[in-house]
Amino acid sequence: MSKRIMLSVTLVIVSAALLIGFIGCQKEEAATQAAGQEVVVYNSYWSDPEPKRVEAELMDMFEEQNPGVKIIHSTVAHEDFKQAIRAYLTSSTPPDVLTWFAGNRARFFIDKGLIMDISDVWEEAGWNDSYSKGFRALSTVDGKQYFLPGNWYWWAVYYSKSTFEKYDIDPPETWDEFIAVCDKLKANGVTPITIGTKYRWTAAAWFDYLNMRVNGPEFHINLMLGKESYDDPRVVKVLNDYWRPLIDKGYFIDDPASYTWAEAIPFMANGQAAMYLMGDFIRDSYPAEKVDDIDFFRFPIIDPSVPVGEDAPTDGYFIPANVQNPEMAKDLLEFFGSAETQEFIAKELKRLVTNNDVDPSVYNANQQKGVELINGADYVAQFYDRDTTPEMADKGMNGFMEFWANTDKAEEILGRLEADRKDLFTE
Amino acid sequence: MAKKSELPLFLRALLYLLLIIVTLVWLVPVIVALITSLRTNDDILLRGFLVLPKSISLQSFADAWNRGGLQYYIPNSFIITIPSLVLTLFLSSLGAYALAHFRFRGRYFFYFMFVGGTMLPFQILLLPVFRLSDALGIYDTYIALIAIHTAFQLGFCTFVLRNYMMTVPGQILEAARIDGCSEIGIWWKIMMPLTIPSFAAIATLEFTWIFNDYLWPLILIRTAEKMPVTSGLAILQGQYVQDWTVIISGALIATVPTLAVFIFLQRYFIEGLTLGSNK
Amino acid sequence: MTGNRLRYNLTPYLFLAVPVLIYMIWVIGPMLYSFYLSFTSWDGFSPPQFVGLKNFIRLFNDRVFYISLSNNIEWIILFMTIPIVLGLALAMVLNGNIPGEKFFKSSFFMPMVLSLVVCGLVWSWLYNPAFGLINSVLRAVGLDGLARGWLSDPKVVMESVIAVAIWRQVGYVMVLYLAGLQSVDPDLISASKVDGASAIQRFFHVILPQLAPITVIVIVISIVDSLRAFDLVSVMTRGGPFNSSSVLANYMYIQAFNNYRMGYGAAISVILFLISLVFILFYLTRIAKEESNG
Repeated sequence: MSKRIMLSVTLVIVSAALLIGFIGCQKEEAATQAAGQEVVVYNSYWSDPEPKRVEAELMDMFEEQNPGVKIIHSTVAHEDFKQAIRAYLTSSTPPDVLTWFAGNRARFFIDKGLIMDISDVWEEAGWNDSYSKGFRALSTVDGKQYFLPGNWYWWAVYYSKSTFEKYDIDPPETWDEFIAVCDKLKANGVTPITIGTKYRWTAAAWFDYLNMRVNGPEFHINLMLGKESYDDPRVVKVLNDYWRPLIDKGYFIDDPASYTWAEAIPFMANGQAAMYLMGDFIRDSYPAEKVDDIDFFRFPIIDPSVPVGEDAPTDGYFIPANVQNPEMAKDLLEFFGSAETQEFIAKELKRLVTNNDVDPSVYNANQQKGVELINGADYVAQFYDRDTTPEMADKGMNGFMEFWANTDKAEEILGRLEADRKDLFTE
Repeated sequence: MAKKSELPLFLRALLYLLLIIVTLVWLVPVIVALITSLRTNDDILLRGFLVLPKSISLQSFADAWNRGGLQYYIPNSFIITIPSLVLTLFLSSLGAYALAHFRFRGRYFFYFMFVGGTMLPFQILLLPVFRLSDALGIYDTYIALIAIHTAFQLGFCTFVLRNYMMTVPGQILEAARIDGCSEIGIWWKIMMPLTIPSFAAIATLEFTWIFNDYLWPLILIRTAEKMPVTSGLAILQGQYVQDWTVIISGALIATVPTLAVFIFLQRYFIEGLTLGSNK
Repeated sequence: MTGNRLRYNLTPYLFLAVPVLIYMIWVIGPMLYSFYLSFTSWDGFSPPQFVGLKNFIRLFNDRVFYISLSNNIEWIILFMTIPIVLGLALAMVLNGNIPGEKFFKSSFFMPMVLSLVVCGLVWSWLYNPAFGLINSVLRAVGLDGLARGWLSDPKVVMESVIAVAIWRQVGYVMVLYLAGLQSVDPDLISASKVDGASAIQRFFHVILPQLAPITVIVIVISIVDSLRAFDLVSVMTRGGPFNSSSVLANYMYIQAFNNYRMGYGAAISVILFLISLVFILFYLTRIAKEESNG
């Protein structure tokens, strides 16, 4: 290799590296310099295409309303956000506002003093009136508010209208009716229920609902909080008497663990299966040409004497405790919680928002049905992996998956979960 | 090296056919990726993955480019990868030279140090390095990423380069020394040209690794504008919506740079990756 | 001559100064810090609390730890043997002047250039029980019984994931052996032919021994990569179903980042490091011996 060639190649490479590094530095400066403007940093996990677009518009709206202020908005993939937040909250320069989940996940940080007390914002913006008691309770710890609930959605059993019509089936309301529907579908060669359990939470949904229907939401929440036992006969009953028959009788599709939740949709879309216990966001992923074919009914009532609990996970916002610019952060938060912003989100995203001052007529028929569903509930839970600690959720969901593959091992699996619970909740 | 053919023509042709079949089967996943990128997501949801597309559409590539913000993220990936690559090759060649051609106390210790670092699952370093970067005030900067990539890849590069450099006979270096050449001169004028093949091979692997790295930007970068293409692709995997065609199209676009590097440096591979038994 | 001597003695240290410094700050330092963390209980936010050996005791009683460990061992065995056999075979075949040589070599090496995420994604589709290519082909040729949930059946999930890793690795090993074959002494081969050795005998007694150094490198790299395996498991199964495909690096990540148990995660990585250490020390002592002889 000629020395000259080597020299010139090296020069090229090194200058390329230097050039690129220089460009990098320039970009750095441009990004952090807002030319005399005030800067607010907002990181969110709204990574789906529609929400991302809506948020971009919201950022423009905020900047219009607040001239001289620049928002640096970064969207992070939903799953990754859960890891990234650990860096955000412990760095010396955290973002000013962050999206996050209500429930235990928020509590975890609140209890560690990582989240700013925003009771003053709640007071000033009048949210103590415009947000329902339930949402206020969700955001309050020890009498102070730390969280701003933003939007939520409901869970229900979604079904294919055309399949139901074909076999002359009406949406069931009681458990016996539900079983009858499943039997009828199976007799006609249709798998009653589709589900994709690769990421486990879809299985946890079944546990949530069966447990709440059989034992009531109070028991369920206490179990989530580690105050009840996993091997309590009541829990065993849920698995053995209600869940196991569904699996053993073949009411679910085969190999559910191979599919992500969305990969299980085709079975329903093409008529091989008929129902899916899922959140309303199933509409976003359903094939466009068939999305009008789906409707939902409330998870069947098992015991009419038991209060009705539903899963309706709520997402929202908070301010990290050590932000550098609390005033601006609070301004942005007020913006997110205002009736105007909420109405915009409701219209554009067809999500349910939390501010009661928003005119309910912005909701379409489907959303109104969902609101009714939740209003009719006696208790609203946040979903298994948001109601209990992350570690217990991890072990619990593994337990459910193991049970799904070994329906005869309920006692053994629950016994192990109970050992985990004792270990995790009594430290 | 010419292969003496001892087999009849017929058998050789058969074996060749077998080779072609095996190669094609080997490439099936790549072909599947390409076909999927040309379909629409609803088509997949309705008809599954392994059906020939009814209609071909390049829309997913456009979507990936726009929605994934790839025109912003790809330059960032280069800003992070190229300097890291150059720095780590440069520094490890210095260290490797010392470890290969000098007998000094501690040479096995230092070698072990570099090799040992490659054994660690780097995920465990995520938070400690984050804290370090935050303390140094470089959190949320390109520098933070370049620093950790340069540092971490020193381990593997030093390992490979040392072994490669050992195949260069010491007499050449001695001769230069006697001629009055400085140590740096020896390194630059003699060692480096001889190491080019190895550089080329490592550069391809390193480029691929650094370019495709995903976890470090997650922890060290806060602002979207500085994120590399891997973060952008992750965003395509929404919380509720998973548009497979867009995801795979985005991933394929992001593969183009690594593929280009691979094709360009290909010819140096065979020579370059020899570890201790060449020349 | 003393000036030169001094220069000669100092030189290696000067050359090593900057790389070693950077390495110490960014890799060794954090590494030692995480070893320290393994003796603490830390959620990543509050100050770490010293707990002595508690994490390790807990680890030795942890079912999932042993599952992960045995999965890693299985990974080592498969990841070491199959790519070596296939890679060597391909290298032997492609070493001659075959038409389209470049095409073949590139095709087998190409998977290495694809990111692990792409590989994991595409193979998940191939493994899809209802629509995937593998099951479709099996059913088409009448082997329905073999069709299964490749990623959902606990009995085969680990092997399914390892298969993808192997698919990537074969090309890499092939290239290493191709390089090695360049330096096999042709005189020895001619000599053995003259002696009347058959092709098989030539292979095992002349070629293979000369490839020994490469084989050692490949073995070391394979073992280290097996112990560090993370991305594929993370993308394809997350360690599921219920930990059947859990590997140590993955388990460590979940413990540290999902469950906020940084200390416990650090303990797992200490064990990982110690296991790798055994192999690395073996390798180092071997080359130390060789180099003092050669």
